[in-house]
Amino acid sequence: MIGEHNENILSDMLPTYYARQFPQNIFCRWLACGSSPQPLCNRELSFTLADDVYLRYLSISHQKDLQTLLQKKCPHKLDVGAVYNTKPSVGRHDAVVISRELVFDIDLTDYDEIRTCCQEARVCEKCWKFMVIACEIIDKALKDDFGFQSILWVFSGRRGIHCWVSDYEARTLDSPGRGAIADYLCLIVGGENQSKKVHLGNENLHSSIRRALNIIDKYFEQLLQDQEFLATDKLNSFLKLIPDDALKSQVETTLKKMQEPSLNKWNTFINIYENYCRENGNVIRKIKYLIEEIKIQYCYPRLDVNVTKGFNHLLKSPFSIHPKTGKVSVVFKSANAKNLKIDEIPTIYSLLDDSVAENNQHETNMKAAVKIFQELVFALEKTEAMRKRSDANTSLDF
Amino acid sequence: MDFKVKRKSTKTPATGNQFELYPHDLQLYKIPPVENITLQEFETLALERVNLLRTLSTATTLRGLRLNSEEFVEFVLNDLRAQGLKYYAKLCEKSGCGSTKADFEARRKDHIAHFILRLAYCRTEELRRWFIARELELFKMRFAVMRGEAVEVFFKLNNLCYTTISEDEKNEVIQNLIESTPYSKIDNMKFYKVKFFEVLDLVKARKVFLNDGYAYIPHRDFISVLAAQYRTHLKQNLAKACHHLCEIEQDERLVCLLKGLHQSYSGNDYSETKAVIPIESLDSISTKSFPLCMRQLHEQLRIAHHLKHGGRLQYGLFLKGIGVTLEDSLRFWREEFIKIMDLDKFEKQYAYNVRYNYGKEGSKRNYSPFSCLKIINTNVGPGDCHGCPFRHCDTGVLKNKLIGYGFSHQVVSDIVELSKKTHFQIACSKYFDAIHNADVGLGINHPNQFFEESQKILKGELKVQPKKENLVKKDIVDSIDAMDFDEPLE
Repeated sequence: MIGEHNENILSDMLPTYYARQFPQNIFCRWLACGSSPQPLCNRELSFTLADDVYLRYLSISHQKDLQTLLQKKCPHKLDVGAVYNTKPSVGRHDAVVISRELVFDIDLTDYDEIRTCCQEARVCEKCWKFMVIACEIIDKALKDDFGFQSILWVFSGRRGIHCWVSDYEARTLDSPGRGAIADYLCLIVGGENQSKKVHLGNENLHSSIRRALNIIDKYFEQLLQDQEFLATDKLNSFLKLIPDDALKSQVETTLKKMQEPSLNKWNTFINIYENYCRENGNVIRKIKYLIEEIKIQYCYPRLDVNVTKGFNHLLKSPFSIHPKTGKVSVVFKSANAKNLKIDEIPTIYSLLDDSVAENNQHETNMKAAVKIFQELVFALEKTEAMRKRSDANTSLDF
Repeated sequence: MDFKVKRKSTKTPATGNQFELYPHDLQLYKIPPVENITLQEFETLALERVNLLRTLSTATTLRGLRLNSEEFVEFVLNDLRAQGLKYYAKLCEKSGCGSTKADFEARRKDHIAHFILRLAYCRTEELRRWFIARELELFKMRFAVMRGEAVEVFFKLNNLCYTTISEDEKNEVIQNLIESTPYSKIDNMKFYKVKFFEVLDLVKARKVFLNDGYAYIPHRDFISVLAAQYRTHLKQNLAKACHHLCEIEQDERLVCLLKGLHQSYSGNDYSETKAVIPIESLDSISTKSFPLCMRQLHEQLRIAHHLKHGGRLQYGLFLKGIGVTLEDSLRFWREEFIKIMDLDKFEKQYAYNVRYNYGKEGSKRNYSPFSCLKIINTNVGPGDCHGCPFRHCDTGVLKNKLIGYGFSHQVVSDIVELSKKTHFQIACSKYFDAIHNADVGLGINHPNQFFEESQKILKGELKVQPKKENLVKKDIVDSIDAMDFDEPLE
């Protein structure tokens, strides 16, 4: 096991990490490509130093700058911001945001009302499955529905995942556009005072929701077993999701008598529901998609929409170290999310200390992550070059 | 902007080429008017259009009518007629391409008035947003009432050429179109393919099939494309108009009019306050003068010693608006938060936001407290306690809360019913009456307005008729049995 995480020794280790492990070259190329046609130096970087000192409006012109800056300031956390019309350090509050990757932030704390294995900052293999589902659903929607190609998935360092879309169309999308995509993808709405957070109405289900449900179905039974959503002490919050009183009391009476596991209870519930619908044709409108609504409430991605809607929200950079866990924010492939194991994610300690047992494996994992990042950046550079060429052609036509 | 009002006013010019100028009731306002008009007409047209836009705003935000629903159109038309704005009622009723003298005159007024208001509403971001929202409602309404031939003429006049997708292409995705387009009889419809960002309203509401970045829309959804273009056009031109304001403002006769136009109508934004409210009084004042949305946040903060970001923003700005000073605010949040965290953590992670709300950090803007409209339409996610309780609470939760405050069953069920029918602001007005034990019937559109009106009543500046039977003695409902615990959602 790796030694206890200690924030104090972080400052000693970070310079070595930045010099030896952090993929500076690829990182700069990714940033530059995502900033064009503005120059790299118009992109805001932000550092969090020891003791939560924030440095905003930093920028670099090339890799050498980054290297110097990292060594000089030794940031505990590295954030990436928007691209401005001028150097952010010069413009500060007057600078205008020109573009910015379309970003998504999914955090397991937003699942606290449904997950039963962990709460708050904790995360385990069981609740990581929520992230696997989220990643698959969002990734598919971004590709199939919106036609985006350059989609980067990053482990946030502790209990969530981030997604960066670098397509030109996504980067230059205005705030209403970002808001519309966020709302399109967001099915769970409602706060502390609302139990039922999913309402699908009674019309046809939208293709994207159907597709999401197909993905959820692959994992639902497993999650039901892992999380025991219908365990005796959770039953009340489950019952609150049923809007029809008669059905609710039927379900309540039956399920209260049953033993775990939840899977049995769930199947019984479906039986009751189906019989009930058959016998009461008149209520069908209200509960037509009840099963789907419950599945979505339990499994569908819970996006922090404010991060997506904001044009200049700072977001933790890929390969930054999470100051609280020491874990590297590794890049991963969406198809591979399910193979990502929390304790196989490299940490700054395991990478820099070859005496720890995990050193070898973590180094391999780090290399693999950098390679995925590399492939994405190469593809992005190619598309960017093509876009510039075709732009040049169209402007010649005039 | 080549729109100018000459000092020498003349009569309306001869009709001349009005047919060429105004062939259709519905315009996209691409070209500004160039004729000379009298100052008086300038003022009348401006006021009349403000009234038109106000009518729309009453219909959507105050009455909560759905845009283009039957009740909406009826309300707007009746209100316009009642105000003597017959020509607007006419333009809004059918949107055709008639060619009577009255038709041309109505279109001319519509045209000129629109451009005058651009000058009045280009001044601030807030004004622009309001103006664009209203003009878009107007445009959508007029587009929706357009029939048959008039639609074709409109497309032709404005060079809107879009081609439909082929039958083969349609058949390939027919299943998806049926699922994702909210209409029946998809088979007979012609579909167009546009980029998804041209129809953001449809994307947002998940009412369109998307594939590979393209949205597949039937003819009747074309309004989304047009409205989006119109919005962009307005946005750019308001920005442009703003740059040229100084030229117009050299004419002092226009300055007062244009500047005053919005103030008389759009109300206070509550970003400045005169009174000072000490934080020690918040517990008591929150039960007497806070709207339910703020009372709920206050209680949550006292119980949990924490609020999530949305709640801190909504409540923090409200407090600023009622007259809590920055120093007091910092003290107030600090005292609660440090019950569950280190002082150090508070200072580093939360104090910044408090100062930010007061315009002391970041872009240093003096942020206005949120209006009801903003609060009602806000995003409320898991763990959040902000938003409008009449909208963002389960019926049972809302009911228990109100019973807990000691309101009579009649009042509670009135408020709950109104909330269910989505009349959130009217429900809030009922709540106002209930806590003041009076029958004021206030139209509420801002939490700070709620607060100020309440203070007026409490200080006796405003006399109201007290109502007797409203408040049940608290001890009656203190027994747990009287509380309705698990009221199901309708």
